[in-house]
Amino acid sequence: MKRLLHGVTVADFTWIGAGAYATKLLADLGADVIKIETSTRLDSLRVGRPFKDKIPGVNRSGYFADRNSSKRSITINLKHAEGLVLVKKLVARANLVANNFTPGIMDKLGLSYDVVKQIRPDIVYASMSMQGATGPDCKDLGYGLTIGAVTGIQHLIGLPDREPAGTGTNYPDHIPNPGHAAFAMIAALRHQRRTGQGQVVDIAQTEPPMAMIGPSIMNYLVNRKVDGRRGNAHPAMAPHGVYPCRGEDRWIAIAVASDAQWSALRQVLGLPDKPEWSHKTGRLADRDTLDNLVAESTRDRHAIPLMEALQKAGVAAGAVHDASDVLTHDPQLAARGHWLVMDHPEMGPSTYNSAPFRFSDADSAPSSPAPLLGQHTREICREFMSLDDVEIDRLVECGALI
Amino acid sequence: MTGTTECSRHALDGIVVLDLSGPMGNYCGKLFADLGADVILVEPATGVPTRGMEPMISGHEGAEASLVYQYQNTNKRSVVLDLEHAGGQQSLRALVKGADLLIESEHPGVMHARGLDYQTLRKINPALVMASITPFGQSGPYADWQAEDIVGLALGGMLYLGGYTDTAPIAAFGDQAISAANLFAAVAAMAALYDAEASGSGQHIDISMQECVVMGLENAVQFYDLEGVVRKRTAGKQRLAGTGVFRCKDGYIYLMAGGVVGNRFWPITTQWLLDEGVEGAQALADPRWLSQDFLATDEARKIFLDIFNPFVLAHTKQELHEKGRARRIPIAPVYDTSDLEHREQLRHREYFVSTPGPYGTLLRMPGAPYKLSATPWSLRHGAPRLGEHTQEILAQVGATAQSLARIEASGEIQ
Repeated sequence: MKRLLHGVTVADFTWIGAGAYATKLLADLGADVIKIETSTRLDSLRVGRPFKDKIPGVNRSGYFADRNSSKRSITINLKHAEGLVLVKKLVARANLVANNFTPGIMDKLGLSYDVVKQIRPDIVYASMSMQGATGPDCKDLGYGLTIGAVTGIQHLIGLPDREPAGTGTNYPDHIPNPGHAAFAMIAALRHQRRTGQGQVVDIAQTEPPMAMIGPSIMNYLVNRKVDGRRGNAHPAMAPHGVYPCRGEDRWIAIAVASDAQWSALRQVLGLPDKPEWSHKTGRLADRDTLDNLVAESTRDRHAIPLMEALQKAGVAAGAVHDASDVLTHDPQLAARGHWLVMDHPEMGPSTYNSAPFRFSDADSAPSSPAPLLGQHTREICREFMSLDDVEIDRLVECGALI
Repeated sequence: MTGTTECSRHALDGIVVLDLSGPMGNYCGKLFADLGADVILVEPATGVPTRGMEPMISGHEGAEASLVYQYQNTNKRSVVLDLEHAGGQQSLRALVKGADLLIESEHPGVMHARGLDYQTLRKINPALVMASITPFGQSGPYADWQAEDIVGLALGGMLYLGGYTDTAPIAAFGDQAISAANLFAAVAAMAALYDAEASGSGQHIDISMQECVVMGLENAVQFYDLEGVVRKRTAGKQRLAGTGVFRCKDGYIYLMAGGVVGNRFWPITTQWLLDEGVEGAQALADPRWLSQDFLATDEARKIFLDIFNPFVLAHTKQELHEKGRARRIPIAPVYDTSDLEHREQLRHREYFVSTPGPYGTLLRMPGAPYKLSATPWSLRHGAPRLGEHTQEILAQVGATAQSLARIEASGEIQ
């Protein structure tokens, strides 16, 4: 089947987290994403755990691999005069140039928007810095967790009387930023194709995460109410929470959204009843009591059969899966073919996420494993720069292609 | 539908979207509307479910009061159609004739029962893209299951990573599983439109919230796959020594001295503490601190905390942010929503935007999540009142509806 972004070429200067994830989404959708790397300054994910067989190596990181599926890699030293000439030839053939450096770095490399626009007037030039291209904080250094801190996300997650817990991950790097960035990039590519007009797409990585807690921010801006941490409680549902199950660190999430679901939950768990609990208001008022009753009842049950029994009765319930559960035990993810095993040239058969959507008439799964460092240098030099092997050898030797 | 090609002001000019969804799709529709698509919210007479979601505008209730609704439906128009009845279904099919994208979030099978499944609709409009957003996808053993946000977080694996080491896992705030489904649906739908405009051939897209949550597991699955290690939640203690939330004089800060591959921030953090004259900081200069294995020990966490605590508790989050910024150390204040309003950077970028809301309120909200220089994101108008545009939209498609009715009567479309 076809791939939806077939024919789109991306000169990809992104690295580490959110940037590389955004261009991976495009690559898995069929764009030819050329990751521009150099062995003199590695994408730090290449040297981040976990490693295949626990043996460190620039081509052995599982984290890097999953974030760079379907891409090709060329190593070019941009600080070498001939390296810069080569990369400009690549840019001349690209629809999109993407980076997630601090503002100013692309300019220093000699690849500012003004320069690139001269080479390719209709280019979409996407930048993903922490705070955006201009402004008093524009030089800030950002990582997912510090972005979580300054956007309100860290503050909002956890228990009210304890320190902010956050998601336990660099959440902004994985969903809010790559998702918004990929959407904006494809929208700009659509405009490029229709009108021949290019443009800058300036993404401040603090801004999409705030967009994803929009109503809570409005609760302050409109109502002057500051939302705080509330554990697993929900303003409109009770019971609503995470309850212990049999086994070590096993839990089940249960959410009761209607009176009928309460009645069903009560029957499955054999809970006592009070007339006032048959309505939402009464349940919300006795939230803590209900949580305790549910927990007492779930404690001796296994999460999976309990989830199945509750779902059969029409109650929203889900076992709290850990990484091994999602990978090896979940029948739904298996039925959808979420996990894809691809044969990586150095890591061998290894597991990748598929995209979280399926098309009726196009492929959505990654097309190839992550590239080795510089794996495609020669073929890209031939395809995009019309170089022959003698010339490529010379450029490798003089330090332009490393 | 085609728009002008020379002077488009918006990236998505000319795209018509039918948003039949609720929480599982309204934000997806907003992303299209805010870049210039004509997004028509198709509502039952009782309104989309988002209208009932908290928080509400203080002191108000009813169809226009929800801030969730107001936020997720900017720049849209509203038409009331009863999709349970033939007349409403026929009007929808007429709308589909002129639409590029349809977003829906019904349980699998419901659209088919209404005669509004993709196979039927693509006969009316072969270029139609239809995005179906559900908790678990259109097929598979969980396809008919129920899921609120917290269930999506649980079965997608993110919930397990959140919370303190000594408590139950704790869910992310603000319906992040639902938001993730909206966002990935928007990416997939945008890609499908990109192709459909060129090929003339649309797609049905099946989006699973559970799978979208799985995309947020960082490196946890690879840790299990390659090293056999199941990652656990870490809040309440430093993730690694020097990395985590620390209480300061007026709140909390997040420091990432040891959490970055290669430990590049450890030496400069140590130097900072030495320059500040922090007692005992010399101990952090020992080469063992450059090993992540050492940073992962309880011993390292305790030594760091004992040294860092007196210093951090004596300073405000703003002071610490500025000191760290000067040295390019990743340290950030933990802001609440009231802190955001006064941030100079956000003011400079004009991040917050306003539109008149119901009851004479002014609705201020997060604005552009991206700045497109030639075709900027824009808030042209707020969310529509229930059925605000029913007459104009039905008038627009009236003739089409009549001719479709004739075709349907002749049996060409089942």
